[in-house]
Amino acid sequence: MQNQDGAVADREKESAVSIPISEVDDWANFADDDIMQQQSAIHAEEAKKIPFVGDKEPLSMLAAEYESGSPILLEKIKVLDQQYAAIRRTRGDGNCFFRSFMFSYLEHILESQDRAEVDRIKGNVEECRKTLQSLGHTDFTFEDFFSLFLEQLECVLQGNEDSISQDELILRSRDQSISDYVVMFFRFVTSGEIRKRSEFFEPFILGLTNATVEQFCKSSVEPMGEESDHVHITALSDALGVPIRVVYLDRSSCDIGGVSVNHHDFLPTSGDKSNAKGGSTDPVKPFITLLYRPGHYDILYPK
Amino acid sequence: MQASRARLFKEYKEVQREKTADPDIQLVCDDSNIFKWTALIKGPSETPYEGGVFQLAFAVPEQYPLQPPQVRFLTKIFHPNVHFKTGEICLDILKNAWSPAWTLQSVCRAIIALMAHPEPDSPLNCDSGNLLRSGDMRGFQSMARMYTRLAAMPKKG
Repeated sequence: MQNQDGAVADREKESAVSIPISEVDDWANFADDDIMQQQSAIHAEEAKKIPFVGDKEPLSMLAAEYESGSPILLEKIKVLDQQYAAIRRTRGDGNCFFRSFMFSYLEHILESQDRAEVDRIKGNVEECRKTLQSLGHTDFTFEDFFSLFLEQLECVLQGNEDSISQDELILRSRDQSISDYVVMFFRFVTSGEIRKRSEFFEPFILGLTNATVEQFCKSSVEPMGEESDHVHITALSDALGVPIRVVYLDRSSCDIGGVSVNHHDFLPTSGDKSNAKGGSTDPVKPFITLLYRPGHYDILYPK
Repeated sequence: MQASRARLFKEYKEVQREKTADPDIQLVCDDSNIFKWTALIKGPSETPYEGGVFQLAFAVPEQYPLQPPQVRFLTKIFHPNVHFKTGEICLDILKNAWSPAWTLQSVCRAIIALMAHPEPDSPLNCDSGNLLRSGDMRGFQSMARMYTRLAAMPKKG
């Protein structure tokens, strides 16, 4: 943002009052654009290391990562190993929660062929559309993102002309023009839900930042690459009515007894706005399980 | 590419439909290239830009609307967040706070808001920023006013 060219202004003041066309056509000589280009170069570099959505790996690969690391983490991974078979990594580009959710959800539909669930979520998506409209969004700003998600939903159901296989789902999840659009769909849905229930979310947002609900959505939900927190997860889970389990792999240890791994189930509130964080007594078992390590989400597969 | 074209076409239709909705903004698409737009915006009232009409140029990337449009002032303007030489604008929504929820039209509105509420702590035009930061409102306003008269108002005939 800083540019020391302010001094140039002095010399310029006497000269032209409009900017010469030759300079105008050259969009490349912008200081900030250099920074943005550098940023996208870094992203491209990062992209070579891991695709948006990786391959399924056995959980032992996770242990290998921490071989010489914290013994607490290694103990916890052993505990995880008893319950979970595999991990699928996602790229750490700030969209990892939404990307993990996208793949995990679509993969679940592909495998379960649960048409009732598809019909159910479509109803929620329609509600989300109405929410955005009532919040003053112009349809064309979000409709492309909505239709791309609905299209993927149709495609993972088998028996249609445009049905896709698991391999194709992986390819699509790695294709920026599809993957980023679906991520953006979730961002719209999340933002709409937070603003619709701003009274509920306000205290949580105040705990995270000093922003208003509106500012929070504008700066931390709607822009791509902004990381997700429990506020985002709660809102997305509520808006789409999809329970999400998050397993926490961090250094926190229990005081007595053996090591255990914490998890939290985000259970959607159905209509009543009293408490988004459902109790553990709820019989609903999330079919989406994400592994959280500070700053990043990946997908976990139960045994 | 296809997605950005389709989106821009929708924005184009919206602009045609809502032409009179916002009298402070006149957004025009290039005849032959839907990725190039210009806009005429009115300087907000009770600012040194009042009475001026400022031209903006838009270059829309192929990844639009996932990527922000590039926008710059074609009309010379003395403002802390606009580069005096290139017209480049320092505005978060044009950089990392961009989201597809914005449109070319709402970007114009955000730029008008920026004209009324400069952010002197992230200056692209340091002279202008320094005047504001040192509290020399009179100095800032007279400079900004002078350039509005010189560059953004019709020549006296």
